Amino acid sequence: MSSNSIKLLAGNSHPELAEVISKRLGIPLSKVGVYQYSNKETSVTIGESIRDEDVYIIQTGTGEQEINDFLMELLIMIHACKTASVRRVTAVIPNFPYARQDKKDKSRAPITAKLIANLLQTAGCDHVITMDLHASQIQGFFHIPVDNLYAEPSVLNYIKTKTDLANAILVSPDAGGAKRVASLADKLDLNFALIHKERQKANEVSKMVLVGDVTGKSCLLIDDMADTCGTLVKATNTLMDHGAKEVIAIVSHGIFSGAARERLKNSRLSRIVCTNTVPVDLDLDILDQIDISPTLAEAIRRLHNGESVSYLFTHAPL
Amino acid sequence: MGDIVILGGNSHPELVKMICDNLGVHPSRVQLGKFSNGETSISVSESVREKDVYVIQSGCGHVNDSFMELLILISACKTASASRVTAVMPYFCYSRQPDIPYTAKGAPLISKVKESGAINGKEAQSPLNSTLMTHRPGEDSRFKSLDTAIRATANTMDQHRSHSGTNLKNVASFSRIPMIPGGKEAGSARADAGELFNSQNAGYKLWVAQAGTLIANLLTTAGADHVITMDLHDPQFQGFFDIPVDNLYCQPIAQNYIQHCIPNYKEAVVVSPDAGGAKRATAIADSLKLSFALIHKERRSQLLKGPPTTTGLPMASKPLVTTFNSAEMHPSSSNSKYVQTTMLVGDVRNKVCILVDDLVDTSYTITRAAKLLKDQGATKVYAIVTHGIFSGDALSRISQSCIDKLIVSNSVPQQETIEYLGKENVDILDVSRVFAEAIRRIHNGESISMLFEHGW
Repeated sequence: MSSNSIKLLAGNSHPELAEVISKRLGIPLSKVGVYQYSNKETSVTIGESIRDEDVYIIQTGTGEQEINDFLMELLIMIHACKTASVRRVTAVIPNFPYARQDKKDKSRAPITAKLIANLLQTAGCDHVITMDLHASQIQGFFHIPVDNLYAEPSVLNYIKTKTDLANAILVSPDAGGAKRVASLADKLDLNFALIHKERQKANEVSKMVLVGDVTGKSCLLIDDMADTCGTLVKATNTLMDHGAKEVIAIVSHGIFSGAARERLKNSRLSRIVCTNTVPVDLDLDILDQIDISPTLAEAIRRLHNGESVSYLFTHAPL
Repeated sequence: MGDIVILGGNSHPELVKMICDNLGVHPSRVQLGKFSNGETSISVSESVREKDVYVIQSGCGHVNDSFMELLILISACKTASASRVTAVMPYFCYSRQPDIPYTAKGAPLISKVKESGAINGKEAQSPLNSTLMTHRPGEDSRFKSLDTAIRATANTMDQHRSHSGTNLKNVASFSRIPMIPGGKEAGSARADAGELFNSQNAGYKLWVAQAGTLIANLLTTAGADHVITMDLHDPQFQGFFDIPVDNLYCQPIAQNYIQHCIPNYKEAVVVSPDAGGAKRATAIADSLKLSFALIHKERRSQLLKGPPTTTGLPMASKPLVTTFNSAEMHPSSSNSKYVQTTMLVGDVRNKVCILVDDLVDTSYTITRAAKLLKDQGATKVYAIVTHGIFSGDALSRISQSCIDKLIVSNSVPQQETIEYLGKENVDILDVSRVFAEAIRRIHNGESISMLFEHGW
């Protein structure tokens, strides 16, 4: 009696995203109860039969207090699905947690991203869908297929429709993001500039050097994530000091932790744009969001039907 | 102890220090913290290359945070070429979860409405919400309740809805399993639950995912080579691991306490508060040659055994075990049910009773048992507990209960317990020496069997 159809399960991290994906696919979210006991252990109840189905669990990495709770939720949900005899479990993790701890940059530093990859596989995950991994090498930490989707097509659409393209210049706030920005610049046929920064400690930025001319231009500052926004704000100041007309920041993952809200509020940014891979609770006028749920929904549909997802790397579904 | 390294997690620094004092070594320096986005950050400051590493982390406090911290510490030591990494978990988290998802009077519940603290607090006071399960709805207001609305009583329901409405935008509540209402709630809530159990879930029995195997596998995946823990709720849990697990016992220490600190202990009765703990209690009773009594209780709700009848959901129609103060709220029926479903096997009249349990979380079981013992004529009730989690409002329940003295081990921090209940009402059993000796023996490759029998 198995239909092997798509079952969408949502954790507690981002119910809004799960809902838009489910609307987009026309498949209701399956009944799950993800609760916390008073002793703070996580409890998962699956509310309907998922035997022999193709299960997608939507859970993103977010929350200054709850990120580990959401991670455990995801692991326990995957495990629960496995013990409930599903055919395949796919973890849909729009923002991969611990992605920045991906190398042993000093003695005895943990490679937590690798640990998370192992934990997901141990729990029984068969496939991972994620978006704009901080380092695409993280895909190599897995022994299971990982589809690293790009927000770039959606970002391209946004830039084309909602910014002053004729007078724009793309800016990368650090050397690491140069490749990402260069790719966008090629597709938009725009110039690009680079800011070189010297980082002394995590979450802290010191000196900034601008490479390129931004005088009188509308600068599009592109990055993969905005966390405490220290980099963004300093880069904005550097650009404005060099005569930029305005600065618009476009990031994939808007984590906005710590003092981000205050920093952005007092910054000289004219707009901050992020996608909805993580829930944003910022309440600022300059905030704009790009909806990437069509890409995730289409990836789920294609994965289920065994079609190629390469199309999504270059095109945003309408 | 040349090549031994002791690392302590954030959950229980005092125990780490005591274990290290017993071993005569210093805990290694390790920086534990969080990045601004909430991700756990650790950094081990001393070399662990080719060392025998012991990571001490109890499963308490913010459980998922401390567990992730443990996993990250283990994996950091492994990637830093430690020769062996042992996870020392005095209290093993996720070792006990109820297998019944819902009872008529509540269930594990996540509650994320930010301002709902007051409401939840009020509910916590209400005997209506006392749950049959040992775990009860989380009152951690950081967690959003997608179904508090259904659980809440009629007037709080509206408040919740308005909170959820403003804070959470369009929450996908339709995908959530609504709670079975906890008593005389609004008719609509009852209808919701009835609908769920009758129509939408016909032929499907709700079940709760058991995380035990997963936790065991996660520890192994992170790189643990050995696990030391104490009084596992299910001894079978050891079998979930493919690595050696040393399950230490608190029993010798508890026996020692009974012999030395309970006056005239030979006349006392050892009581198990539920059938599951009978084995543990009889072991103590046998070795001290004391008499033994057992409290049997019916934990199950009838709801899951069959479809609700037309009068189905209200609590009064079911033989529920209620808390002792429920008489105020339900003078008639509940009290009679109480006697029906909780039975004492054995005689405790004019005796001193020693309640023995491995784990006290919400404290419903143990306070209820104490009340029953006093009702049956016990003169004094001691409660000896290995792991005192005391979540939610457990401490206030204990302080109001018939328990005359609480004896609890320091497998999880008990500072708050002492402050809340007062020094004279609580005695702490020190387990650090057992753990230190186990670590010493494991490090030296000696047998630890004698720790199972003798106090240390």
